[in-house]
Amino acid sequence: MKVLVVDDSVTMRRIIINSLKSSGYDDLVEAGDGIEALANMEGVELVLTDWNMPNMDGLTFVKELKQSDVYKDIPIIMITTEGGKGEVIEALKQGVNNYIVKPFDKDTLLDKVKKTISG
Amino acid sequence: MKIDYINPFNNAVFNAMDTMVGIQVSRDKPYLKKDNYTTGDITGIMGMAGNYLSGSVALTFPEQSILKIYEKMIGESADSLSSEVQDMVGELVNIVVGGAKTEFTELGISYQLSIPMVVTGPKHVIKHKYENPIIAIPFKWENNPFTMEISIKLLSQAKK
Repeated sequence: MKVLVVDDSVTMRRIIINSLKSSGYDDLVEAGDGIEALANMEGVELVLTDWNMPNMDGLTFVKELKQSDVYKDIPIIMITTEGGKGEVIEALKQGVNNYIVKPFDKDTLLDKVKKTISG
Repeated sequence: MKIDYINPFNNAVFNAMDTMVGIQVSRDKPYLKKDNYTTGDITGIMGMAGNYLSGSVALTFPEQSILKIYEKMIGESADSLSSEVQDMVGELVNIVVGGAKTEFTELGISYQLSIPMVVTGPKHVIKHKYENPIIAIPFKWENNPFTMEISIKLLSQAKK
């Protein structure tokens, strides 16, 4: 399964990618913002994206995906410090399938990935 | 400054270090800073702006402390304050200020976050958003100290 990890922090991308690799996911691509992510969507089957990023934020990126005939059905997990109820509702309304609030541990991440994939 | 406005940041430090780094930190007695010099070699600072509360929060680490935290968090060693270490400090302050924001919403307070900024160098100067008192809160993991600085301006009473 090809997974795209989008976060402006190299540290966060590395933590997420290392966790996914340790659980057997080996087809991983990464991007530092929504614009870079849109350019790397070819073949992606699952998206993990931050919310607050420069150039194009995660919510705008999600909206772009949902407007695309090609990418609208790809499952999306948002991983963000935005933990307020209003933000979670807004993200789900825009089509995010699952939501993880930073800080998170590896088990939480892998559990949400598994649940999101199994639909 | 009411303790209500400090505790969310303290809680966020404990939570971030426990969950993301896998370490248990302890807190020492807070004090008021008398100048703009930091106690660390690398500092991440982030601004907050809202209707009720505005200000900035910084996390500052001595080099040896942050290199050990980096190794624990990433699983690789670093021997200098590299761009990767700087990025991690920016992300840590982002997680702490973001974590506090979630707790503040329960007090009826919301704010927007700025992009984290990271400064390096021995005994560098950090200028907070306002000329308000700066509360320094020392933390420690084993023999590795670090400090959180909080400078907050309350603009009006929060609605519960």
